[in-house]
Amino acid sequence: MADTEILGTDSAVENPAVGIDQSVGDFTYDVKYEFDAGSGLNEGTVRYISSVKKEAPWILDFRLKAYQTFLDKPMPTHWATKDLESIDFSKIRYYLSQGQKPKRTWDEVPDDIKKTFERLGIPEQERKFLAGVEAQFDSEAAYSNVKDIVAKQGVIFLTSSEALREHPELFRKWFGKVIPTSDNKFSALNSAVFSGGSFIYVPKGVKVAMPLQAYFRINAENFGQFERTLIIADEGAEVTYMEGCTAPKFSTSTLHSAVVELVALKGAKIQYITVQNWANNVFNLVTKRGLAMEDAEIKWIDCNIGSRLTMKYPGVILKGRRARGEVISIALANDGQHQDTGAKMIHAADETTSSIVAKSISVGQGRSTYRGQVHIPKHLKGCKNNTECDALLINSNSRTDTYPAITVRGDRHAVQHEASVSKVSEEMIFYMQQRGLTEAQAMSLAVNGFVNDLVSQFPMEYSVELKRLIDLEMEGSVG
Amino acid sequence: MSVSLTSAPSPVSAPATGLTAERFAAHLAQQAPLPAWWLDAKQVAWERFRALPLPTRTDEHWRFSSLKGISFDGYDLSETPASAAPHLPAFPHTAQIIYSNRQVIGRSTVPAELTAQGVLFCPLDEALREHGELVRTHLQKHPAALGGDKFVALNTAFAASGVVLYVPKGVEVDLPFVVQHAITGERQAAFPHTLVILEDNARATLVEFFVSGDQRTHLAAGVNDLHAGAGARLTYVGAQSWSDTTLAFQSNSIVAQRDARVLALNVHLGGRQARHESHSRLLGPGAHSEMLALTVAGGTQEFDQRTLQTHAAPNTSSNLLYKNVLLDTARTIFSGLIVVDPDAQKTDAYQSNRNLMLSDTAEANSLPGLEIQANDVRCTHGATTSRIEPEQEFYLESRGIPPKKAAELLVIGFFEEVLNKLEDENLHAVLRDLIEAKFKAK
Amino acid sequence: MHTLEIRDLFVALTDQPDKPIVKGLNLTIKAGEIHAIMGPNGTGKSTLSKAIAGHPGYAITGGDVLIDGKSILEMEPDERARAGIFLAFQYPSEIPGVSIANFLRAAVQARLAEGEELDATAYYKRLYGKMDMLKIDRKFTSRAVNDGFSGGEKKRCEILQMAMLEPTFALMDETDSGLDIDALRIVADGVNTMRGPKLGVLLITHYQRLLDYIVPDQVHVMYDGRIVKTGDKGLALELEAKGYDWVKKELAAV
Repeated sequence: MADTEILGTDSAVENPAVGIDQSVGDFTYDVKYEFDAGSGLNEGTVRYISSVKKEAPWILDFRLKAYQTFLDKPMPTHWATKDLESIDFSKIRYYLSQGQKPKRTWDEVPDDIKKTFERLGIPEQERKFLAGVEAQFDSEAAYSNVKDIVAKQGVIFLTSSEALREHPELFRKWFGKVIPTSDNKFSALNSAVFSGGSFIYVPKGVKVAMPLQAYFRINAENFGQFERTLIIADEGAEVTYMEGCTAPKFSTSTLHSAVVELVALKGAKIQYITVQNWANNVFNLVTKRGLAMEDAEIKWIDCNIGSRLTMKYPGVILKGRRARGEVISIALANDGQHQDTGAKMIHAADETTSSIVAKSISVGQGRSTYRGQVHIPKHLKGCKNNTECDALLINSNSRTDTYPAITVRGDRHAVQHEASVSKVSEEMIFYMQQRGLTEAQAMSLAVNGFVNDLVSQFPMEYSVELKRLIDLEMEGSVG
Repeated sequence: MSVSLTSAPSPVSAPATGLTAERFAAHLAQQAPLPAWWLDAKQVAWERFRALPLPTRTDEHWRFSSLKGISFDGYDLSETPASAAPHLPAFPHTAQIIYSNRQVIGRSTVPAELTAQGVLFCPLDEALREHGELVRTHLQKHPAALGGDKFVALNTAFAASGVVLYVPKGVEVDLPFVVQHAITGERQAAFPHTLVILEDNARATLVEFFVSGDQRTHLAAGVNDLHAGAGARLTYVGAQSWSDTTLAFQSNSIVAQRDARVLALNVHLGGRQARHESHSRLLGPGAHSEMLALTVAGGTQEFDQRTLQTHAAPNTSSNLLYKNVLLDTARTIFSGLIVVDPDAQKTDAYQSNRNLMLSDTAEANSLPGLEIQANDVRCTHGATTSRIEPEQEFYLESRGIPPKKAAELLVIGFFEEVLNKLEDENLHAVLRDLIEAKFKAK
Repeated sequence: MHTLEIRDLFVALTDQPDKPIVKGLNLTIKAGEIHAIMGPNGTGKSTLSKAIAGHPGYAITGGDVLIDGKSILEMEPDERARAGIFLAFQYPSEIPGVSIANFLRAAVQARLAEGEELDATAYYKRLYGKMDMLKIDRKFTSRAVNDGFSGGEKKRCEILQMAMLEPTFALMDETDSGLDIDALRIVADGVNTMRGPKLGVLLITHYQRLLDYIVPDQVHVMYDGRIVKTGDKGLALELEAKGYDWVKKELAAV
């Protein structure tokens, strides 16, 4: 096997970390000591992760370079929120080490999260899993079932670590190519310390009928905070991928920083669905981008309800002629939350089309921000972009911002951006109250109505959960 | 109204050229008869100009701007004799003041009945001498917050040209006041500072023409403070046709008190790189601001327009419409922001940027932004970038109109929506002629 | 038998409490009765219906509104609705993204006791029954409430809601406005079908034509915030013939 060869030859010679005795003892102690020293993430940590994963030398090199880039890059606070400065990088390491798995009991889970689980009707077993109380999850079998079915079609569906070992040639070809390490400070951080995430390869012409789900696997590894996902749809292939869960994930971590790269080769279609509902102490700083070749289509459906600060702008590089990119984004920001979301559409070929529809709801003192980039550079023809972003403000102290940036070069394109800000009208609320609904019920209906056209594009079970989550968030917002 | 050309002032020998400390000292010495606070303000501004860095890539206010063309080196600030003013369009007006190379070369008197009512329209230095407190109270009271601080400081340090228009409470003036700022001669510069004060329920129109007397390289850094008191109605028109090698900067600050209505229309035609900042502050309930701009960008020109609509009081409204036509390899940047303060409920704000692309190599950048902190508001913005509909063009051509003329007609049609907002039809015609002239020159 | 009693009622706009629009109005409607209020524009007819329903834009500055002898003035709009008041709006609100089926379901659910779950099958059976009765296409229910509806569709949507929610008292505010003759007949047929001992109706209208289709038990003429004349359906015909000036003159003569 190719992977064994790599491990057998290279690791002993070139991976310095392998020389260290890994039988828990001193090495772990050393790492602990470094962590205790509070000197933050360092090269040793990066080497440690790489060695634990028995990675090939090129990956370690990749990580070390990324680590340097992370150090060199400033925080993007000249345009982004100053809240980023509250991130305590010294806490991140805790989660990097397998030996440092948090041990918690059900009793330690905060009451409001328990209550939410109960009201969502999540089974006890799953609740415990979501809360991180149990490291093992029994549905591994269910997951394996899915894996078996798609495997028969030749689909490769592995964790990133497995794929790096088993399919290095496939992985390396596209890894870091859609999102360069230096894209931003957090993509660099992820590139240095990534762990977990999915690798999917769909062979030519294969259409995967059922959506592939990421949720369980990422948590099973318990390395979810810096997952790295790479999905490749070969020519004419089609795949839908769903990640996250509509239940809040209990997490004591302060930072989740994933990198997701999609590659849709000629005529392929990838749909990537995220429902993010982190606990509201999580900084969720995620870089997601897809590369769409000729006649390919990439669609991001992104829904952000949880977290303290989310910064996420799923993008598509429209590299091939007639490629299509689409982002559908829903964000709900409640008290103490800032949903800074949006989309990037980089047109790089003729007759490429992109569409962005973003809707946000700000409740209480919540703040939602739309940031968008549409770029149509030199000498292309026949490109189209249509962007709509609508913000709904529920309370008088709610806040919303819109910051699009549109660059168009040449006279053969059509680009349109429209945004609006509104509130739920008093007349509408009175109308519904007159039919016997309470003010809160009326508000919930109005808000669900506002996002309904987008929610209906989610798979059934997700859209139902999403509506319930919105209802939960809306409770107590009126009166 | 007749314009009498005054004799050109005698040249003052300058100790050095360029924006040097010596040059500033000479300028300050020349301004010595003016009030001490003004000289102090200039000193502070000079130091600020020197201390402030040039705009950088990481400054959001300068995103997408070409920064390498921004330099203050080598401009000639010696008091060269003013040449005759370039042609000033003739149209019915109340009074005119004509500047050339920072000096008044022509001035018509304000009608006696207006002077009797307290209307004031005079060069900045005269206002500083005779109405120092009035100027002091309003000058840069609300500076535009759009990133051009270094340019504004430069303007204050060297400001000598410019006018003050003061209209007392309840006085209404129908015909516009007209100002022309001209620059002529290699590496000449101008730093006009215009102050308009309309007291409560007053009404007036000010039109400023910024024009080069030749196609040489110039530097222009202008600042306007426009104040509209309660219920006042202020119309401001700025028409810029600097030479195509001019580095131009203009910062406009508009303040509207309760129920005031301000319309500002800027026409941008000239300059190698022309930046225009415009900040409207709606400070009183019921205030309204109309912010309009028309740009024809050709050759390698870059027009960089930054706007801010600040709604600081409830029931205020603003409407922004910036239209750009792009030819050749020209670039435009429109970056606009609507800010609604938490107390400004019932705000109605609109912002729209429309780019018409007439070339395959032109580039339009659009950054329409919103920052909303009140929920009972109606705020929308839109940005479109498109070409002339081929069907439209064909329709005109099928009627025998040559392609170039067809494009010109369609461009004028594209601008007409904005020009129509001017009530003064003569002014409307003057601006249309200016725009057409740029097309004819192509 | 249920009774809606309006007792010496004064209503003003919430922002202008010292300028009463309704000025001491008295009216009692018993279940089973249909009352029509007619009057010139701007006389306070719509204000009356909105104030009874509890619209926040209107303040009741005097008098009382009682259902079966119990004041409803302290109740929230939704509590009043659940107590049996239904307002058919002159200009119904549009609620984008919320389908009629889901909206009505939420409204019906709101009327059930706490913990009681709506029987979905029975609900849809009843909904479709009412729609058939009102000659409304089934596809209608998947459209968002009033969103992009024509004037006639909006009014039919109001009547459908009324049929589903089975109020004790229906206040119909200019329900005939914006309806052509066919749409008017459908709306009138709907009301007539629901007519019966359990329902009291207050028809607010400017024109007599609706009363050709829905024959009222009593007709009241409202002028300057008060009821100034009461009679049977003959009064409506008289008004149509003589115009509102006739009432004004008669009042001036008193």
